[in-house]
Order: sequence, then structure tokens, then C-alpha cells
Amino acid sequence: MKIAVCFKIIADYDRLSHKDWEWDERHFVDMSFVRRVFNCFDESALETSLKLSRQLENVSDPAELTAITVDDGQGDLFLKHLMAVGYDHAVRICCNNRLDLRFNPLVISHLISRYIKQEGQKLVVLGMQGGEGDNGQTGFLVAEQLGWPCIREVIDVVMAESPDCLKVKSRIDGAILKQTIKLPMVLIMGHSLNSPYLRVPTLKQKLNAKKKQLTILSNIDLGLDNEALLNKDKTLMDLHGQKPGKSCAFLEGKTAQEQAQCLYDRYLKERLSL
Amino acid sequence: MTLTREAIVEHLKNIVGKERVITDEQVLKENSHDRYKKFETIFGVYSTPIPAAVVKLADTNQVSDVLKFLNENKINSVAKTGGTATEGGLETIVENSVVLDGSQMNQIIKIDETNMLATAQCGVNLGELEDRLREQGFTTGHSPQSKPLAHMGGLVATRSIGQFSTLYGAIEDMVIGLEAVFPNGEITRIKNVPRRSCGPDIRHVIIGNEGALCYITEVTVKIYRYFPENNEFLAWALDDMSLGFEVLREVMVEGYRPSVARLYDAEDGVQHSFDQFAPDKCVLMFMAEGNEHMARATAQGIAEIVEKHEECRKIDSRLIENWFNHLNWGPEKIAEERELIRKNFHIGFTTEVSGNWDCINTIYENAIKRIREEYPHIEDLTMLGGHSSHSYQTGTNLYFVYDYDVKDCKPEEEINKYHIALNALIVEETLKAGGSMVHHHGIGKYRTSWTKQEHGSAYYILKGLKDQFDPNGIMNTGTIYPVE
Repeated sequence: MKIAVCFKIIADYDRLSHKDWEWDERHFVDMSFVRRVFNCFDESALETSLKLSRQLENVSDPAELTAITVDDGQGDLFLKHLMAVGYDHAVRICCNNRLDLRFNPLVISHLISRYIKQEGQKLVVLGMQGGEGDNGQTGFLVAEQLGWPCIREVIDVVMAESPDCLKVKSRIDGAILKQTIKLPMVLIMGHSLNSPYLRVPTLKQKLNAKKKQLTILSNIDLGLDNEALLNKDKTLMDLHGQKPGKSCAFLEGKTAQEQAQCLYDRYLKERLSL
Repeated sequence: MTLTREAIVEHLKNIVGKERVITDEQVLKENSHDRYKKFETIFGVYSTPIPAAVVKLADTNQVSDVLKFLNENKINSVAKTGGTATEGGLETIVENSVVLDGSQMNQIIKIDETNMLATAQCGVNLGELEDRLREQGFTTGHSPQSKPLAHMGGLVATRSIGQFSTLYGAIEDMVIGLEAVFPNGEITRIKNVPRRSCGPDIRHVIIGNEGALCYITEVTVKIYRYFPENNEFLAWALDDMSLGFEVLREVMVEGYRPSVARLYDAEDGVQHSFDQFAPDKCVLMFMAEGNEHMARATAQGIAEIVEKHEECRKIDSRLIENWFNHLNWGPEKIAEERELIRKNFHIGFTTEVSGNWDCINTIYENAIKRIREEYPHIEDLTMLGGHSSHSYQTGTNLYFVYDYDVKDCKPEEEINKYHIALNALIVEETLKAGGSMVHHHGIGKYRTSWTKQEHGSAYYILKGLKDQFDPNGIMNTGTIYPVE
């Protein structure tokens, strides 16, 4: 079974301070000095798919895992890492690097879905949103373009008794939904407690991965010209930072009891009576 | 006659009050180990004997009274404050040990701006002391990764070192005076003077004793003016560690004292994401700090030295500054690490050693080679590398870093299969080349097999201290001194 897992590499936002959030005239924030990491939901998707592939090792149609990212080169190290931990193929789709794809999930979904069709994949797994644009749309758009069923907020997936089905666990309205679904399908990973982190390759796996080749494709290879990559449905007008509206007050009182009484009288009583 | 566990607890309650004697089973379990056994304890296995009690000490007199009682009854004690030890020093290997927890002795006693001194009780968190000092424009200059968690007593007891040591020195260079209690209950104070010639420097009996000779209750350290606005970061990529050590040596011998001087090999660099800007390269980095003139001159001087070596390629200093500013380990990072270990059965440790300039590269190459060639579970290793992070006029340290997948063994077997075995190969190669087997974590309980070899004929002095100050052997048995 051909499984494609899509991921995005983003700056580690935990390492940006408030003062670093300054953007230029194109609304880009300079993050060149911050390390890049797997987008957290995509990392779950990558590890969950690896675990699924291990379950499918001895079936008639074993898993063939492909990792896909759309970027201009920064993802190569991460693709090598994925080959080291067990991905069979690593694909980078590169576009004109002057294009701003942060808020253009439609184009990203076109690139992904064209690759999926071209390669005859049966399952697409990807994170529910990426840190850069926080669009949360790519998975749904990919499913729509492929005409496949789509499950959102997936937290786990395992093989089913029937070879052309998977058991999928997802969150819905505060409950956990367990379904057995027929392939093909698109799975959009949410917060997975089972597989939050990608495994680490051994020294030997890393050495072997160095010899493996990455597949680099362009939008042209996938039948999309540069005109088709433009964001036609929306224009980024402005960005502005939110000022945190926090304030601080010290509770009066000599003892904890007096302070608790003060907290209740001044701040809680009114709210609790509502 | 040996006291029963119940009798020990009862006596302790009489001495310090029942509210200060903790016997809750989970608390006792958590106090039976330190980070050396982090793997098994994450999986709920506690293979070390559980202590009889944890005593939350209130003041120096209580320390004295409790130690006197333990000494008279030959009950083993384990001194503890922040609990960030990494080498088994906090393990309660003797049945019915008592953990002496000084974390509630947490008063900053005095900040003396005239004499540039700060005095703190043993349970003061270094991060809190540092924050207080920085509010007033000062710093201790001590900044180990454990700063958010470690306490002053433990830092002094283990001869700890901080990330800015190349400028400020290690803890032994900072401590001016001390108060400590010996097992017979004797309270001793060493006064705060800038220097003296009055016999041997007795501070060094206490600094680094790891709770094996006495209990540190109060510490006075030097403080410095703090000028973070002048910090300058510098970094270069280079092909091999040998060249890196050579450049480090030139910088040190030339007399420059950057606060940070680090050299990472390519493998170790990967776990810090250095491969994103220096793939397959070693990374050499410095931070110059201090007053404006000193910081600028230090940065310029270092750059001149490094850039004479054409093989060194300059790296955007902002990358290093951003990385360095996120290096400390607080509670959230410990929790994240525990989760990673639990989910992926994957863990990492370090062994830190030191050597003079003429043998440091030999230690580095031989230890890595021996692990690659001789370690039977090399297939399970996910990382094997190292870095130097504390340099001196005469040599530098080496931090070997090794991560591995724990496979085909019970949680309690991990330590022998992986950690102890890897640690041993590094220590053996270091001693063989003439280096020191421990640079700054302390001997703890897992390098004691080599304590005699480390000290050679000078072990006579070390043993004499134990015989003199702890004749009943109640002070952290199995730490520093091998169990005979």
C-alpha cells in the first residue's frame, strides 16, 4: 500500500522572542537565525504512519512510505532523517522561491494531490495545520481534489482485518470516534498522544540514509505552471502584533485567609453569581 | 545495636519535629535515586533501597543534631538540595539511609555590594539568587544548565561548573567562605577574606565533598558587575576537532578569556541543529562579555586568531546567540525529556572528562574509536559525539554525549547494558591518556572504581580526609570513595 505523508518544516517559534517579530515590506519575519523543526502535527503524522507501516510488513500489499514536503531546500536534512528512520521515498516539491505560499493552502493542495494521483498513492496523512500560516485547510483541499473521504483530528490509525481498510481513531466534539474505513482516504492528524515525537535513527541508519537519493520535483513536473501558483483568491494586506492585555494586582491581607477573602470579594463573587 | 527503620524515624521526629520527617512511600522512592537512573524510574522501577526517611532541615542546628544522631547510631546519610545530580551521588545504596534535604534552608542572607559578595543558605536556588543579583546589576557568573533547578549547597558539593566558566571560573573559584557541619555535629565556618596564607586552603576539604565528608549549610560567593548589553557571539565551522582544539589553545594561551569557548563535533552538533547551517562540520564558538572595552577587545582578538586559519568558515553569530539563549534545563525540559523516553524508549547521557592540550584530542579520538569498535550494542546507538565547553590555560574538558534506543532489556537492566558500559570505556581511555575521569559532575557512585587510579599516590590524602572526618562512614556511603 502506498502511503504519502506530507510535512512542513517551520521555524522553532519557541525560540523567538517578542522583539524578533518584526516584518519587512513583504510581511516576512526574519527567522533565518532560528533552528527549523518539523511542524508538530506533521511530526505526529510521520511517526503514526511509520508505526502503521510496521504493522503492514507481512501483508500481501506491504506499506511503501513516501515523505513529501513543499519547500526550497531547507527540508532536505529532514527528508534524509526520514529516510533514515524508515521512509522508502523522500520527495521535495520546489517552487519559485519568491512566491509567498504561507497563506496559499490551495496551491499546496494542488501540488500534493497531483503527486498523489501521479504515483497512485492510497493513503495521505498530514498534520491539521502548520505554524506559518495556520490555515488549517490543506488536508481538506487535498481530499476534495482527490475525491477521497477525509477524517480530521485523527489521533491513531492501525490496520484492519480487511486488507483494504484501516481503523481510524479521531476526536469529535469532545468524544473519541473509532471507524473502520475503506481506502483510499486522507487523514488529518490532530494532537496524537500515542505518537507525538518522531523516532530517532541509529548511527547505522543515518549512514545508510546519506547514500540514498532524494526526489526533487518542480511545479512544472507536476503540470502546474508558475501562473497557477499565484494566490488569486486573497491578498495579504497587513500584519500586526497583538499586545498582551495583562495587568497585575496584589491581594491585600496579612494572612492567606485574608488574601483569599479579598480575592473572593473583589474578583470572584461577582463572576460566580452570574 | 542497629536501630530499626521505625526507631530511626521516631528519633528523627523527636529531633526536628514530626512535620519535617517525610515517610510517604512515593516521596521516599523519588529520593532513592538521581538522574543517573532516570530510565528505570521513569518506568516506575526503583532498584535502589528506599530510604527510611527524608528530613526537611530547617537550620544549621538541626543539621548538626541530626548528623550527630546518625553518626552515633551509624546510620547512612545522603545530603540533598536541588536534586539535579547526574552521577548517582544521591542514590541511597545503604538500607535505611536518611536523606538530609536542605531545600527549605533557602534564605539569601546578604548581598554585599561593597565587598562584592553574596551569602546564601544551601537551599537557595541559583536561578533565584542570580535573578536577585541581576536586578541590582550583578551576577555570580555561575550558569550551569541546571541553574533553574539546582541549589547552592549541591552546586558547591559537586564542584559544579557553569557555561561562562572560561571567564568566571568554576564554583571553586567563586566560593569565598562556607559553613558546614561534620558528622559529629561540629559546625564550622570559614570566614570571607579575599586571600590568605594561613595553612592549606581548607575550603577545598568542603568544596566537592559530595556529602561524603560534611554537610554544606551556607555559601558565600563572589559577585561581578553584569553587562549583558556588551555580549558578543562569534562562531566558525571547521573540518575536524583536532584543528578546533588547536585554535582553542591559541585563544587561551594568548590570554583571552571569553566567557564561553565551545567546540562541537559534527555528530554532537546535529542534536543542537548545527547541521542546518554547518552540515558535517565541527563548530567553534565564543562569547565575549564584561565591560564594553573588555568585551570588544576579547571578541576582536579571538576573531584575529581564528581567521588566521583559512579552514575556519564564519557562521552568522545570531544563530549561536539564539541557540545559546535556550540551552538551560528547567522543569518543562525535564518533563519533555521524560515523555520522550517513555514514548520512544530512547535516552541520552553524558560523560565529562578533561585533559591537557597535549592529550585531549587523543582522548577524544580513542574513546570514540573504542566505543565504535568494542561496544557490543553499537547498533542501538543513535548518537555518539562530544564537545569541549570549558577551557583553561593548560587544557580543556570533553563532554562525551551518547544516545541510544533501549532494546531487549528490562528497565532496570538498561543501566548495565548501556550507560555503565559506555561510561567505562570513556573513563578508561581518558585515564590511559593521562586525563581526569571527571570534569564537573562529581564522582558520584559510578566512577568510584577508578577513584584510586585517578588520584594515584595522592589517594593517601583523600583517604585521610575520610578517616579523619567520617570515621564511622555515615556520609553518603559509596560516593567518591569505593565501597571496600
